[in-house]
Amino acid sequence: MSDIKEIPPNTLMAFGIVGGLLGIYLTYILPLAGDAVGGPVKDLLTTIAPAAGALGGMCAIVWGAEAVRRVAKYGLGTGVPSIGQIAMGMGIVAAMFGLAIVKELTLAGPIVALVTASVIGLIIGWFAQNVIKMKIPVMIRCMTEIAAAGSLIIIGFSAAVAGTFEFSKLIPLVFDNGFMLAVFWVGAMALLHPFNAVLGPDEKQKRLLYLAFSTGAITMAVTGIAGIMTLGNAGIFTLLVGVVLWLIFYKKFWDEVYKDAAAVVGTGLIPKTEA
Amino acid sequence: MVALDPATLINVLLIAISGTLVCIAVHFIPVGGAPAAMAQATGIGTGTVELAAGSGLVGLITASAMYAIPSVQSDPNVMALVLAAGAMGSMIMIASTMLSGSLIYAYGVGVPFASAQVKKDPITGARQDLYMSKGTQGQGLPTVCFVSGIIGAALGGIGGALIYYVLVGIYSTSTLIGGSAAAVAGVFTMGVFYVNSVVPSYGVGGTIEGFHDPKFRRVLPKDAVTSFVVSALCGILAILIAGGF
Repeated sequence: MSDIKEIPPNTLMAFGIVGGLLGIYLTYILPLAGDAVGGPVKDLLTTIAPAAGALGGMCAIVWGAEAVRRVAKYGLGTGVPSIGQIAMGMGIVAAMFGLAIVKELTLAGPIVALVTASVIGLIIGWFAQNVIKMKIPVMIRCMTEIAAAGSLIIIGFSAAVAGTFEFSKLIPLVFDNGFMLAVFWVGAMALLHPFNAVLGPDEKQKRLLYLAFSTGAITMAVTGIAGIMTLGNAGIFTLLVGVVLWLIFYKKFWDEVYKDAAAVVGTGLIPKTEA
Repeated sequence: MVALDPATLINVLLIAISGTLVCIAVHFIPVGGAPAAMAQATGIGTGTVELAAGSGLVGLITASAMYAIPSVQSDPNVMALVLAAGAMGSMIMIASTMLSGSLIYAYGVGVPFASAQVKKDPITGARQDLYMSKGTQGQGLPTVCFVSGIIGAALGGIGGALIYYVLVGIYSTSTLIGGSAAAVAGVFTMGVFYVNSVVPSYGVGGTIEGFHDPKFRRVLPKDAVTSFVVSALCGILAILIAGGF
């Protein structure tokens, strides 16, 4: 498959980190900007701000799903879902630590979480490679990337539910009501599903990326539903954007499937009587 | 910054030990993965992580339910009660999974239960190799696997309950978390649990029959070391969350 040009890992990593952090910080900055301007602009900005966090999470999902693809290609022995679950496990530990440890320096939270996640991922990757001896050359790098993506996914979608990433506000809005579990699981599914669905001998990066965008959009829609309960109108906006993005990217994925397939034929219904 | 007093160190150590318990638990649970789902390997037909996490999370629910009872919190044996509740929850969950799986293997698929790793069942002494279908890695859940699974679930439940117990104790005194200690401790426990159930599953490599499997002795030490280090790191992070800088 060397004739197909793939997007290099570093580009996707930059996309995930920059896009993810940008979205997360916009969730925080937009309401502040709204406060400064006041009037109807304020309402508008507070309504669209949480959706930015979800979009940031989506960027991280695309990056993470591609990292899952690179490592899971070697065959993990336990199935692709396991790596999605460890990603979210590492991500949630790092995200909680990063957001809580900074106290008043709220803005530093996501970056501290990202760095912490990378360190945890690096350590687990090193152990997987050198102690458990998995013999996967990209293990250390991919584990680091996946953990970092996991933490951005958790923070991004938590911010979409709570409208902020201040730990003291996340506790009543995301932890107490259990939305964290939805963020955790839907995020894990979004991360592991793309490669789990498209793997095989004729697997292509483009198809995976579109599917990752669409699973990210589903996650956004789900956090939008949660957001309706915590934030009201802002949740509805997140939900609508999520559904629209899902339709767009699922159609793109659908088109890729048709393009890559040798032939698409209808098999008709199962005959009622056995021949 | 949290002072490095002995109590903090003991808490980190307890979290590291509980993570290691979860890791050891994974090795006891008879997991067959996709081959077992087609009755071509011994064990339950799903992934290591799903089983370990499933039983561990049920243990977490029963442990937290036990901890939430006011009379238990004032009991001098509160830790033992919470750990026992966690172990019971996990054991019930894995036993019912194995029982219903066995019913399907016996009466639905119609295979005799046989282990591919041992010639005689170490517990019942029954011959295994006679009943193994050709080209398979055993099938169903022989007695030894069932017993091994129950032991594993107990260890996993104790591990999950111990992390929860330590964290909920720390967080309830934190000014930042305070009243939401149960929720935050629960979510953090889940994170540590997932990490510790995936790490050994990479060592196990998809399938393991239980403590009688030769793989058990081969992979357990290195998986346990990995889990101990990773859980200790998670423990340090968990305790720093409560205090902040």
